[in-house]
Amino acid sequence: MTAVVARELEKRFGSTVGLNRIDLDIQAGSTTAILGPNGAGKSTLLRLIAGLARPSSGTIEVSGRSAHHRISRARVGFIGHATGLYPELTARENLLFAARLRSVPNASARVEEQLAEAGLTRAADRRTGGFSRGMAQRLSIAVGLIDDPEIVLLDEPFTGLDRTASDRLVERLMGLRQNDRTLVLVSHDVTLAAKLADAAVVLRRGKIAHRDSGGDLDPSTLENAYTAASDRDVA
Amino acid sequence: MNALLAVLWKDLLTEWRSRDRAIAMLLFSMLMVVIFHFSLPGGATTATRAYAPGLLWVAYVFAALLGLGRSFAIELENDAIEGLARAPVDRGWVLLGKTIANLLILGFVQAVTACIFALVFEMDLLPIALELIGVVALGSIGLCSVGTFFAAIAVRTRLREVMLPLLALPFYTPVLIAASRATNALFETGSVPFEPIQFLIVTDASYLIVSFILSDFVLDE
Amino acid sequence: MTNAVSNQVPTSTSPGINRALTITGAVLAVSIAVWAYLVYSAPLDSVQGLIQKILYVHVPCWFAAYAGFVVTAVCGAFYLWKNDERFDRVAVAGAEVGVLFCTLGLVTGPIWAKGTWGHWWAWDPRLTVTLLLWFIYLAYLLLRSFTEGSTRTARFAAVYGIAGIAVIPLNYFAIQLFGGAAMHPNNLERGSLGTGMGWPFAAAVVTALIAMLHLVLLRVDLENKRIAADANAAEWDSDEDF
Repeated sequence: MTAVVARELEKRFGSTVGLNRIDLDIQAGSTTAILGPNGAGKSTLLRLIAGLARPSSGTIEVSGRSAHHRISRARVGFIGHATGLYPELTARENLLFAARLRSVPNASARVEEQLAEAGLTRAADRRTGGFSRGMAQRLSIAVGLIDDPEIVLLDEPFTGLDRTASDRLVERLMGLRQNDRTLVLVSHDVTLAAKLADAAVVLRRGKIAHRDSGGDLDPSTLENAYTAASDRDVA
Repeated sequence: MNALLAVLWKDLLTEWRSRDRAIAMLLFSMLMVVIFHFSLPGGATTATRAYAPGLLWVAYVFAALLGLGRSFAIELENDAIEGLARAPVDRGWVLLGKTIANLLILGFVQAVTACIFALVFEMDLLPIALELIGVVALGSIGLCSVGTFFAAIAVRTRLREVMLPLLALPFYTPVLIAASRATNALFETGSVPFEPIQFLIVTDASYLIVSFILSDFVLDE
Repeated sequence: MTNAVSNQVPTSTSPGINRALTITGAVLAVSIAVWAYLVYSAPLDSVQGLIQKILYVHVPCWFAAYAGFVVTAVCGAFYLWKNDERFDRVAVAGAEVGVLFCTLGLVTGPIWAKGTWGHWWAWDPRLTVTLLLWFIYLAYLLLRSFTEGSTRTARFAAVYGIAGIAVIPLNYFAIQLFGGAAMHPNNLERGSLGTGMGWPFAAAVVTALIAMLHLVLLRVDLENKRIAADANAAEWDSDEDF
């Protein structure tokens, strides 16, 4: 079963090409790492899957429906660069809003669960405007996972997290994998990606420069592909 | 419907925490009364009462524009707008939730402004309070529906404070014309003619429908 | 890389547009000549005299302006539906040409009005609605220049362009129901034109519409070239990296 299917997917921003006719299948229950240098189109790809951007041409489908459709949006959780939090609201209220917006059953119980998971139970009634980068990032991840989505998209989720929080997140992602969730992870960290993912895509200038779906990823092969993709841009 | 209520609750709670929008709108419309006083020949008194309905709506329109502009600014701070765009519902519900929140915040400002007008122009608004609320509500639905819709557009352009009035004002004219006529008749005769009310209902309905349908295109990217 | 980029950006001048431009250009030249002759030989108005001849400029401008705005709204709707940026290029052309003709109409109107009504300006429904429409499509063009990102620009503009046409009846009825008295004649069909004025008027309207079409095509062609030039520049930049 494929969770995400991209065909001839293209995204242009005026005359710059963000993604250049990409074909991609992401298997349900797999963890895919998307690697590549800055400006390679990683975030663009993620935003297209999340239904936050529309293709210039080609198609992107989530479980057989256009990624932009509201049913597709219900299947996908997105943890982006920005935290998406409202600074005037407390941690609990931010989660409660996300839960209500996405019609989560038993919203308040689920909110408490997520607060505990993020280690924010004691800070639950503080306004998020005063949160540190790490706390905000943890809460942002909790918000993204509030409705336990089938497909979880993460854009550099480890940014701003300290060692403990990082390890907790890795554990959490492993847990999601075991529950057959589909994970798509954008990262710079090749070692971490190789450890977490069972498939990898290296993007370079909007094209897929390397793909690997062997199951067990070899960090050094990935590292080489990544370096090759980055090198030509710098030289 | 869940999403509508969630957005409404969130917007009102955010506003209640900071109160910055309501206070700014209120001060703005109070200042406008002062400006009206100095710009009217003979000042804002019983002698110039005939101008009161039109000026009242001028104050309402500009206070509304001020508040609507801020309505989406809170969504941009941490890119929270992406969460709204990803809500698994028709985006019209999200926009409608914001419209109602804006309507309630504007309603509070309008009530206080009307009291100040009554004080300055020495009008007794109590006997016609219900009718006035009805007319103001009908007019404000028109202002807030397209206003919230255009605010979603304007907030993501450069010079957003300039863009919103330019986009919205040509769409405010029909509302302004009918609402000030109705208010004028209400102040003069104590009753509201049917024609402007009918027109306001048609306008509100078309604005609500058009912004609901097109809402899908203004929240993402 | 080179292949990929040139594949998705249309070539600088499409032969289709060039051919169409030649045709509209030729028809326009003929049409202007016919229009000039007919207007020159049209009978003088018995009441208004010579100034009435401004009719053959003023009214056709409105036809062209409204046609331009309709092009913008329709192409905007097609853009939202098909997600094809070629529609957006026609939409922006329609708005610019529409605003041009609208400005011409708004300038020629007061000249005529001063001569016949005795006022430069009257808050008559048709005039006021057109003025508002002029504001709307100027706001449309401003919106385009103030929005960053080409897809966002195109989408916002399409939405506003559609809404701009949709608000015409509301504004019109509001002003007619509660606004000032109408100064313009109620119908511009047979009856309100004097004998011998029909053909010159028809020629004027046809000329204006052809001029509109020609300008829209020119503008679309210009936009195509601009985008192609941008793409070439981008390609040039990326080549330098190697």
